[in-house]
Amino acid sequence: MTEFAGTHAEPIVVLLVEDSAGDVRLTKEAFKEAKIRISLHVATDGAEAMDFLNRAGNHTKAPRPDLILLDLNLPKKNGREVLEEIKMSSTLMSIPVFILTTSSADEDVLRSYRLHANAFITKPVGLDGFLQVVKSIDSFWLTVVRLPRE
Amino acid sequence: MPDIAELESAAEVWERLAAIVESSDDAIIGKTLDGTITAWNQGAARIFGYSAAEAIGKSMGMLIPPERAGEEPEILARIGRGESVDHFETLRVRKDGKLIDVSETISPIRDSSGAIVGASKIARDVTERKLTEIALKQSLAASESALKELADLKFALDQHAIVAITNVQGTITYVNDKFCATSKYSKEELIGQDHRILNSGHHPKEFFQEMYRTIAGGKVWQGEIKNRAKDGSTYWVDSTIVPMLTAEGKPGQYIAIRFVITERKRAEERLAAQAAELQKTQDELEIRVNERTVDLANANKVLESSNVELQQFAYVASHDLQEPLRMVASYTQLLAKRYKGRLDSDADEFIAFAVDGCNRMQGLIRDLLTYSRAGRNGEEPSEVSGDDALQGALTNLRITIEQSGAVITHGRLPSITTDETQLTQVFQNLIGNAIKYRSSEVPRVHVSAANNGGNEWTFSVRDNGLGIDPQYFEKIFVIFQRLHGRQEFEGTGIGLAICKKIVERMGGKIWVESQLEKGSTFYFTLPGGNN
Repeated sequence: MTEFAGTHAEPIVVLLVEDSAGDVRLTKEAFKEAKIRISLHVATDGAEAMDFLNRAGNHTKAPRPDLILLDLNLPKKNGREVLEEIKMSSTLMSIPVFILTTSSADEDVLRSYRLHANAFITKPVGLDGFLQVVKSIDSFWLTVVRLPRE
Repeated sequence: MPDIAELESAAEVWERLAAIVESSDDAIIGKTLDGTITAWNQGAARIFGYSAAEAIGKSMGMLIPPERAGEEPEILARIGRGESVDHFETLRVRKDGKLIDVSETISPIRDSSGAIVGASKIARDVTERKLTEIALKQSLAASESALKELADLKFALDQHAIVAITNVQGTITYVNDKFCATSKYSKEELIGQDHRILNSGHHPKEFFQEMYRTIAGGKVWQGEIKNRAKDGSTYWVDSTIVPMLTAEGKPGQYIAIRFVITERKRAEERLAAQAAELQKTQDELEIRVNERTVDLANANKVLESSNVELQQFAYVASHDLQEPLRMVASYTQLLAKRYKGRLDSDADEFIAFAVDGCNRMQGLIRDLLTYSRAGRNGEEPSEVSGDDALQGALTNLRITIEQSGAVITHGRLPSITTDETQLTQVFQNLIGNAIKYRSSEVPRVHVSAANNGGNEWTFSVRDNGLGIDPQYFEKIFVIFQRLHGRQEFEGTGIGLAICKKIVERMGGKIWVESQLEKGSTFYFTLPGGNN
């Protein structure tokens, strides 16, 4: 079990909103490679992500995530819409949202931060880069930073 | 012997005669054969200015101007021979010195024996008559010459102009030959006809109404009329119609003088037709130019939208290609990480090639993306210091410069109205290449700029590197074009293509001058500069 900063002993709950099975597995593997213990939940489109967050549909028992990793290009409801809904919601707005996307376009970066994304991460092409990202998230967001508890 | 009564009667007769002589308007003078004046009546006194007392006993010579002195002896000689001189017109001089014209009748005076003892002269002052005669002659001459002049004028007019006279009803009363020749009607056919016989139908009714109003009002009308000849052909005349006014001041008849101007009008019509034709051609040309302009604008739009599409395609393609590539690369690497050494050596080698291929493809896609974004007007052009742009490039190249030990120098660089990021990119790619393709010597790169005169600068980046074979001068600017093997130099061959795209988007051009083993100088021009 990984050491966590803060007082909680429970594994941190991460919601990964990602439609690509390859990326989902890769993210899981990366956390595994980095030896970070988390409780990873996956929503494969924007609508499901909102159900999970609102405990609606098939996710009435869903836990409240500590962190959301959100892809921008999603079916049904895209990442921008999901981000906007989260940040407009008084109950969800405090959850840190990281945009994790292949895009590195300035426009996407700017728009995401304007919608109050907490971080914008371009998915690295190589495995090493991806591992580095996961390790960085762990060391900064899950260790250095104190997250809100609700 | 006459009786008393008869004597008395004779005396009375004498007196009566003397009274007649005395009261005559003519000068009646008696003179001797040697010219001495013996009698001088009132008429003589009035004509010559001398009284009888002054004249009688004097010589006739005082009345004769010096240039006529020869006349008197001759006249006296003729008298002496018993002849008379009738109506001899000559000049005489008055007492006051004025010369007068006189007409003289001189007759011999005989005594009772019949011998000639003197002469009687009746002289009449004809100065007035003479003057009248002269005036009359002059007047006659003037009339004659005026008539001749008129005849000459008429002749000249007839030679050149159509002349016609019509009465107030518009009936032709006179035509000259020219009229007949031009209209091809005979005099007989024309006279008595209305002038409308010549109407060509060219002019509107109002045209003739205006003409008749003018001349009926006693004013001269001038204008150009198209008439129809008897044979149906038409001719143009420049017409002047003069109303001849009666004593009451009303037009009695109209004299029309016309000059044939058919040639001129035809020329004008031809000219007008040509001008119209020209205008038509011009209009058509303009329409075609407009159509072409619209076509071009449309083509331009199509081209623009296809350019935008192409750019979007390059962007989307390179972006979307990254997705599957990332999967391939990540999982190949994961495979290598987890199973390296647990499979055989072939498997390790295969995995290594797959990873290398993924890395190269990643580079290509990244560069393609950069290229598709290059020259896009991301930022509004602003005043950019060439020095700042260069420093930006050198900062980005810091590690490369340090590792290669390259020496970068530069001359004075101007400020340019452009996009700083893009200018930095150009410097960075060119200097980066200069270092990358270095020879065995320490790389030396010199950046400078020169004004082309006017609003354009030429920048140059000179190196002491490998140099480029002239046959590749064009090729090196083509995207993904490489001159070296991958083992020699890394890279995708995008750098110069990006430079070319940026420079051309900025309105400049880029080229290279180089010799193998002697280094290269890359030049690019940029507009919008100042000092």
